[in-house]
Amino acid sequence: MAMRDLVTGGAACAVPGSSSSSNPFGALANALISSSSKTEERLKEIPTSTTTYSDGNVYAGIDEPLTTLPGSEFDRPLQPNVQGAEFFRGFRSADQGRLADVWEEIHNPQLPYSQGRGSLTHLPAIEQTIRPNNQLQPDFDGPPQRVLSSFLHSFVNSNQGGVPFRPTPLPVLGLSEGDKQCIRDRSSIMARHFFADKSEDFINAQVNALLSSLDIDGDIRARGPLPGRFRELEDYWNESQGMMKPGPHAADGWVAEYTQRRVEHGDPNAWAQSFELQHGANGWASEFEHEQSQIASLNQMKGANIANLAAMEQTRMLAHTLAQNNDPKFQNSKFLQFVSKMSRGEIIMEDNQVKPNAVSAPGDWATEYQQQFNGGHAWADQFTHEAITYTISRGPDGWASEFAAKRDQNGSVDDQWVNEFSKLHVQDWAEEFGNQFGEGALGENSADNWANGYDDYLNEQIAAKQRSETSRGVYEFSDMNPYVGHPNPLKEGQELFRKGLLSEAVLALEAEVLKNSDNAEGWRLLGIAHAENDDDQQAIAAMMRAQEVDPTNLEVLLALGVSHTNELEQAAALKYLYSWLRHHPKYGTLARPEMSDSLYYADVAGLFNEAAQMSPEDADVHVVLGVLFNLSREFDKAIASFKTALKLKPRDYSLWNKLGATQANSVQSADAIDAYQQQTSTHAKQGNIEVVVDALRSVLNEDPLIVMLLASQALDLKPNYVRAWANMGISYANQGMYEESIRYYVRALAMNPKADNAWQYLRISLSCASRNDMMQACDSRNLDVLQKEFPL
Amino acid sequence: MANSTQLKSDALLEQMKLHLSTDAGKEITKKVGLVYQINIAPKKIGFNEEIYVVDLKKGEVKKGPYEGGKPDATFSFTDEDFFKVATGKMNPQIAFMRGAMKVKGSLSAAQKFTPDIFPKPSKM
Repeated sequence: MAMRDLVTGGAACAVPGSSSSSNPFGALANALISSSSKTEERLKEIPTSTTTYSDGNVYAGIDEPLTTLPGSEFDRPLQPNVQGAEFFRGFRSADQGRLADVWEEIHNPQLPYSQGRGSLTHLPAIEQTIRPNNQLQPDFDGPPQRVLSSFLHSFVNSNQGGVPFRPTPLPVLGLSEGDKQCIRDRSSIMARHFFADKSEDFINAQVNALLSSLDIDGDIRARGPLPGRFRELEDYWNESQGMMKPGPHAADGWVAEYTQRRVEHGDPNAWAQSFELQHGANGWASEFEHEQSQIASLNQMKGANIANLAAMEQTRMLAHTLAQNNDPKFQNSKFLQFVSKMSRGEIIMEDNQVKPNAVSAPGDWATEYQQQFNGGHAWADQFTHEAITYTISRGPDGWASEFAAKRDQNGSVDDQWVNEFSKLHVQDWAEEFGNQFGEGALGENSADNWANGYDDYLNEQIAAKQRSETSRGVYEFSDMNPYVGHPNPLKEGQELFRKGLLSEAVLALEAEVLKNSDNAEGWRLLGIAHAENDDDQQAIAAMMRAQEVDPTNLEVLLALGVSHTNELEQAAALKYLYSWLRHHPKYGTLARPEMSDSLYYADVAGLFNEAAQMSPEDADVHVVLGVLFNLSREFDKAIASFKTALKLKPRDYSLWNKLGATQANSVQSADAIDAYQQQTSTHAKQGNIEVVVDALRSVLNEDPLIVMLLASQALDLKPNYVRAWANMGISYANQGMYEESIRYYVRALAMNPKADNAWQYLRISLSCASRNDMMQACDSRNLDVLQKEFPL
Repeated sequence: MANSTQLKSDALLEQMKLHLSTDAGKEITKKVGLVYQINIAPKKIGFNEEIYVVDLKKGEVKKGPYEGGKPDATFSFTDEDFFKVATGKMNPQIAFMRGAMKVKGSLSAAQKFTPDIFPKPSKM
């Protein structure tokens, strides 16, 4: 949402009144805010609102919207003159007493009604802050405030049962920019407490729903030069978080000092004024920073862990240096993080997806991220703590009023933030965007596409986070494994593998290698099962473990060579294939030890040709040659090699797949499909040798008629070779037969829903086949729907 | 023919070359009808770039800068990122936002640059 707004010029995030009608949120904003000038009129029309609050009419203007609020039913039947007390009780009955108190503090304005009009005079600042549009008529703020509080109330309640919080249309609240920012910041933090047991995504969704209902978006932050401001914010954040780390001492100290200051100055206004005098226009940000550093030095004097502080200092420096880096790539990724935060209405560090090659020390960065993340909790905790302290010590007119008072004194704090963070040397993002597309015109549609892309990106990041370990060659075990504790998981795994139940076999074999981590056969079979399940990353990870245990196992070396060839990692593939030769009892003599340092394709291929001449009846040599020719993309030679190998080993189904894959890559897709159908039949019906032999003969003689006949026969069988099905899909897709390809992908996925490649390819085929209606099912990985739609 | 420092993208673009000669490939040519120049860097964008032209007007893939005037759009990738984009592992928009893809030229042309136009490698 936020991104789209940025791109389209910011309908929903724009100043009230400037929204474009094409944007739904903009329309909502228009509906709500364009009438803000009418608010007073409307309020004036309410006859009794000026003095008495016991008249129910006061809600006349907002009655209808209120009914749409979840949770508002608590409040509705109450008599207005007891509403304040009831409201507090309502909060407490929600089992969120302490937190709700904080909310109350933030949105204090109920108080005037529970305590009588007199108390209003103590809180002029609040009046002005919360209700800037109504300054001449302070009496009229009741209804909007009540709406707001009900609404926030419902937000707080929404944590029970984890019901997602829906955006709700609200009447005019007349919130100032300051209020919006205040609500945004607080809700982001508090939501993490309310929904402490929920996932991050859920929390973000809740907060976004709240913010969008209140017509709060990244509006203030949306304008101006973003990357630079973010850099500033990050520096500041690092600074405060770094210093916060000493823990409870710092927090207590801060609170204590704060309280002391409060006691000294007594009245909030005076406090705010002196604050203003002492610290000038930089406001509480610099004050906070200042206090933090004081506390830090205090700790240092106490002899607190100096090494720790030094380390923190260093990470802080690192962050600073990183932020200064003008490498556009880096800046872009920061920009991205910022946008992602903005879209959630918060500024806490979340996803540090910084490319390792852009950052000199990725490890440090990760550590620092961890620190910041923990720091975030500490900060939020402290926030709660502090708020509660005030509730107790100062009564209900606690820091909220103080905050408001100070805010009032400072005029527009937001402007100061914006100004402060405007001192930057980075290009405005819009400019940069423009540069990238020097000649491109940004239409409405294109903007939507990019915004969708951004949404995808968020999803992808979550997935990538989970998978990042795998890509580094670390084997990732399944969470729930029923085979753990099985008396003989290896035997079970071999049996399952033989039956073709690959996903089950993977689990059994995982149980085996968990039990005996140096069982090379367990790792090897696990790797093969993954390869056949079309997951090369896991296959490579497992095979590498097998190789660690048994460095000379030929099957393992060949499998590693094949998997790296699949991933187009030529150097690695060559290394393993050469090792295969070197460790082979027969051909090992061919290998020249001086070669292993720098392998050249031509040399390795030459050695294997020698080997093939030595023993032309050895199918394995031809297999390796076929893989090597794939590496050099000499597909005709590769196909010839695999065919030779197949003559020697007709029942090796993996050879059939290799042949098919090679043919597909060499754009003989029609032939490839035949080969796949043959090899699946080979695999499934090992007993039916005649079919296999016939198929072999047909393929070798390239007799398409017989091949097609056998193909339909093969389809009746039930193969479990996921990779073959996925490859079938690829073959069809590469021929432009997208509907067909979809069926094969879905079939492959039904057998192994974890095959990520197949999901990506399925998505592409769906879009090529203009089946956007099924995109949702694909993205949510809903196999039931897909299988129903695309039966095979 | 090949050496150990070869780019993954070479393999992909060679496959693309073959693919464009098939019926499905000709469909793509008809559908897109644009000329893309792709600069591929082994490690860091802007350094030691290999230049390819994917001419989807004529259905050709050639090494070296475009000679028939100005390409409709020019992309810069690292080898790894191009591999990810072409095989559908990374969305081009995301690549752009991450700074993993630089674009010059017409935006509407750039938007037709999707993973669909690349053939997918089958696996052994």
